[in-house]
Amino acid sequence: MMQQVKDIVVVGGGTAGWMAAAALAKVLGTQAHTITLVESEEIGTVGVGEATIPPIMQYNNLLGIDEDEFVRETNATFKLGIEFIDWRNKGSSYFHPFGVFGANIKGGVGFMNYWLRWVQSGGDPDYRHFIAEGVAAGEGRFARVPASPDGQSPRLNYAYQFDAATYAAYLRRYAERRGAVRHEGRVVDVEQNSETGYIEAVKLADGRRVSGDFFIDCSGFRGLLIEGVFKAGFDDWSHWLPNNRAVAVPCERVEDPTPFTRSTARESGWQWRIPLQHRTGNGYVFCDSYLSEDEASRLLLERLDGKALADPKILRFTAGKRRLGWVKNCLAVGLSSGFLEPLESTSIHLIQIAIMKLFEFFPQRDVNPVLIDLYNREMDVLYDHVRDFIIGHYKVTDRDDTPYWQYCRNMTIPDSLRAKLELFSDRGETRWMPSDLFGETSWFAVLYGQGLIPRSYHPVANALSEDELQLAVAGIRTAIRRRVDTLPSHADFIESCCAARPAATAA
Amino acid sequence: MTRRVQQVVVVGADAPAWMAAAALLRSVSGAGIRVRVIELPTLLHPADAYSALPELAGFHHRIGLDEDLLFSLCKAVPVAGRRFSNWSGATPPFIHGYDRAPPPAAGLGFTQLWIKGRQRGLRTDFENFSLASVAAKAGRVPAAPKVADLHAAFGYNLDAGAYSALLRHLTMRGGVESTAATIADVEIEGDRVVTVTLDDGERVEADLFVDASGPRAALIGRMPGADLESWRGWLPCDRVLVASARGLKPLPAFSQISAFRHGWTGLFPLQGRTAVIAAYDSRETSDQAVLDDLPALANMSIAGDAVVSDLSQAIRRRAWVGNCVAIGDSAFSLEPLDGAQLHIVHYCISQLMTLFPVEADAFPEAELYDRIIRRLAVNLRDFQVAHYKLNRRFDMPFWDRCRDAPVPETLQRKLDLFAARGRVPLNDDEIFQEQDWESLFIGHGLMPQSYDPRVDAIPEQEHIAQVQARLNDIVGLVEGMAPVDDFIAGVNSEQAADVKALG
Repeated sequence: MMQQVKDIVVVGGGTAGWMAAAALAKVLGTQAHTITLVESEEIGTVGVGEATIPPIMQYNNLLGIDEDEFVRETNATFKLGIEFIDWRNKGSSYFHPFGVFGANIKGGVGFMNYWLRWVQSGGDPDYRHFIAEGVAAGEGRFARVPASPDGQSPRLNYAYQFDAATYAAYLRRYAERRGAVRHEGRVVDVEQNSETGYIEAVKLADGRRVSGDFFIDCSGFRGLLIEGVFKAGFDDWSHWLPNNRAVAVPCERVEDPTPFTRSTARESGWQWRIPLQHRTGNGYVFCDSYLSEDEASRLLLERLDGKALADPKILRFTAGKRRLGWVKNCLAVGLSSGFLEPLESTSIHLIQIAIMKLFEFFPQRDVNPVLIDLYNREMDVLYDHVRDFIIGHYKVTDRDDTPYWQYCRNMTIPDSLRAKLELFSDRGETRWMPSDLFGETSWFAVLYGQGLIPRSYHPVANALSEDELQLAVAGIRTAIRRRVDTLPSHADFIESCCAARPAATAA
Repeated sequence: MTRRVQQVVVVGADAPAWMAAAALLRSVSGAGIRVRVIELPTLLHPADAYSALPELAGFHHRIGLDEDLLFSLCKAVPVAGRRFSNWSGATPPFIHGYDRAPPPAAGLGFTQLWIKGRQRGLRTDFENFSLASVAAKAGRVPAAPKVADLHAAFGYNLDAGAYSALLRHLTMRGGVESTAATIADVEIEGDRVVTVTLDDGERVEADLFVDASGPRAALIGRMPGADLESWRGWLPCDRVLVASARGLKPLPAFSQISAFRHGWTGLFPLQGRTAVIAAYDSRETSDQAVLDDLPALANMSIAGDAVVSDLSQAIRRRAWVGNCVAIGDSAFSLEPLDGAQLHIVHYCISQLMTLFPVEADAFPEAELYDRIIRRLAVNLRDFQVAHYKLNRRFDMPFWDRCRDAPVPETLQRKLDLFAARGRVPLNDDEIFQEQDWESLFIGHGLMPQSYDPRVDAIPEQEHIAQVQARLNDIVGLVEGMAPVDDFIAGVNSEQAADVKALG
C-alpha cells in the first residue's frame, strides 16, 4: 500500500507561504495532516502594494473567504484593469480592462472585427467605450454586477488591489485558526535521505528540527530548497525583460482610490501606482544598466502624488523561471519558482496556480515522477505565455527616446510571440491557445493600445450593411453606457460594505 | 490595395462537401463572396452510415437545419453512447456515454469521489454514475435539459447517402451553384492552385479552394508539403468492410463496438436497417475470411452486398497550403471507432470560418490552421489508440502487439496521470473532454491508484450520501426520458413532406 503524504512543511512566509499554508489547512485539514510553516522575521518579505487579476476569486472561493471581510482586513480596493500611460509614445494612454470586448453581433464573427471595420470607416478608435469595465474605471465607478438572467449582459469582472503584508497576515490568521503551526526561525541546514535524496527535515538556527513528507519552498528569489538543495536551474530571460530592480515607496492618499492600477512608462522602465484604501503604493521598475538605484529612487519620490510615508525600498531580481519548479518532494511556490515583473499583476496568480496544481497532482510519499513531469510542463506553458504577454508591451511601442526604449524596440523576441504579432497585425486575430490566461480582449487591448493596428479584419464583418453596422455598434455602446450609469462611485461602494476599520488602517 | 477573396470553390462529395458549402453559404456569402461546389463522384455505398457525436446539433443549428428532417428522411436513430464489448476477456462491456455536463469547478468532479469510494469497497460500476450510459442501457433518449451537474446528449446514426442528399438539397436551395464533374487536371504554381480543369474541359479558377474530397485528397494531395504521415504504427487496421443487416426492434439507444481476433466490428442501428462495419488488419486476415465470419461476429445475417475498401489512418503534413484548405478526412483520416468523422469536418469548417482569409494573395492564417488541425488530430488519434493499448485480450498476437506497443508520448502522459491520480491532462483542441477519457480509461480497466486529496475533506457519511443521491437522480431522470422508438414516432414530419415535394 502506498503511503500518504501526512506532514507538509512550508519554508518561508510572505504571500506565497501563507497562501500555500491557508489552502492546505482548508483542503487537507489538520486532523490527518500537519501543516507547518517556518519563517524568520529577520528575513524581510517582498510584500508591497499588490494588484491581482480576476482568477484570484477562485482561490478566495476555495478558502470560503467572505469578500467584504477580506477587503476590509487587507485595506483592499477593487480593480477593473490597468491604465497604461506613455507606453506607446509620450502623451499616449490606453486601458487594459478585465471583461469582454463589445458583444456578439448576430450570425457573425467576433465583435472586434466589426469594430475594426467601424473604425476604418471613421468610428471613434477608443475601444474603451465598448468594454463596461473600461468605461466604469474611467469614471471611477464600481459595484458587483452579476450577469443578467437573460444572458444579454455579462458580469462585471474585477480583481483587487491590496496591501500584500496585510494579506499575508490575514491568511496567517486563517491558517492558524485551522491548525497550521508557525515556527519562527531561520533555516540553517537541510537533511536529505541518503538514498532517495528526498528532503527529510530542515534545521533551524536554534537547533530545532522540522521534519516532513513534502516541502514547499516559499523562500523567495534565492530558492533555499529548490535551488540550494536541488540545483533546479534557472532560465534567465533578462535579454527579453531587462528590468532587474524595483524601488518601492508608499505615499499618502490624496484622492478617492481609483478602481484600477496605473502603469506609467518612464525613461528606463515603468512606474506603478496601486491605490489602497488608506494609502497609495508606488514603485519604479527599471534596469540598472540604464539607471542607478539612487537616481531611480530620486525620480520616484519626485513623481509621487502624495507625501512619501517611508523610505524607498530597493528590490533586486532577475527575470526568468526556475527550470524545474518541482523536484522530488519539494515544490517551489512564488518567487522561488521564477520572477516576472508585476506589469500585468501576475505574481499572485502564479502562486495560486502552483497551489491549485499541487492539489490536482497531489502525490503519495514516494512521488510519482509522472506528476512532477506534468506539473513542470504545465507551469512552463503558463510562464511562457505570461512572459510573451509582458514582452509584447515593450516590443510593440513607438518609443525610442532613451537607450532603454531603443533596446526594447529592437530586441529579438520569442518565436511564439513573433508569430502572434504577425497574425495580429494582419487581421487582428488574437485567438491562439484556448487555455491561455490572457484572452482575446487582453491581447487586443494591449497590442492595439501599444500601437499595433491590424491592417484588416474578418471578411464576414462586411456582411452587414453600413446602416446595420452603425446601428449594431451604437446599440452595444449604449447598452454598456446604461450598465455603467447604474453603478455607484468606487469610493461610495467601499464605504457601503467593506471600508477598512481604523485598526487595520493603522497597521 | 490588396485583393480580397471573392470566389470560393468547394471540391468534394457527400456530407463533407455539402457541410462546407452550407456553412460558407450561411456565413461568408452574406459578405458578397461567391460559393461554388465541384461535386466529385460519391465515395458512399448504399450500406454506409454516419455515426455522429451530439456536437453535430451545433452544426445543424448554425446552418438552420431542422433536426426533425433527420428522423423523417435520413433513417436517423438517436444514440446516447457506444457500447464496447469483448475488449477484455474478463471484464464486462462498458458504455462510453455522451455526458455533456460542464467540467466540475476547481477540477473536483464526481469521478474523484468514485475513485475513493471504489477503494473503500464501493461496488457500483463507474458507468452507472453516467446519465448517458444509464439512458443508453435503458434504451432511452437523453433529450432533457440539464439538471445541476447531470447532463447528457444524444448523437446520431444517419444513413450516409440520405444525409448527404438532404444537405445537398438544402444548400442548393440556398443558391449555391454546383457542377457534377471529375477532375481532369490541376494546375499548380508554387503553392497556389491556379486552375482546376474538369472532365468537360471547363477551367475553374478561385481565390480559395476547399478540398472536401475525403481521403482521395483531390487537391491537397497535389500540393507541396502536404504529403501523408501514416499512423498505422499505432492504429493497425487498414481495411474496412461495410454491410447492412435487418433493423432492430426495439431500437437500442447505443451503437455497439465489439473487438474480434483481428480488429473490431460495429453495429449502428438505423430506422429499418442496421449498418455493420468491420475494421481489421489485412496482415492478419483476408477480406473473405472477415466476410465469412461477419454473421457470427455481428450475430445477425447480412443483407445484400458487402463493400470493402482501404482504410487510411494518416494526416497530411499540411492541411492548408497556399489557396487550398483541406477539411475533414482530406486533412486527416481515422477509422470510425469513436464516431468523430463528421465532427472533424465540423471542427475544420469552424476553424476555417474563424480564420477565413482576408486577402487572396497571402494566407498568414494557414500556419495557425495547420497547428490547430494537427492538435485536433493528435488528440483524437490518441483517444482511439487508447482502445487498442488498454485491451485485455491476452494470447492473441494482434491484440498482444497492440497492448505491448509503445503509444504516442501525448497519450502516455494521459495514461500515466490517470493511473497515478485519476486526472486527465487535456490539451487544446480536444474533441473528447475529461469525462469521455475517464469513461474510456475506466471502462477498459485502468484504475487510478489515488485521488484528489480534497475528497478527504468530505466526511464519510456525506460522501456516501452524495454517491447515493447521484444514483437516485440518474434513475429519476432516465425514467422521464422517451424510449428510442417513441422519440422517433414523436417527430414532426411535415417539413419532410415539403423537402420531398421540392425534390
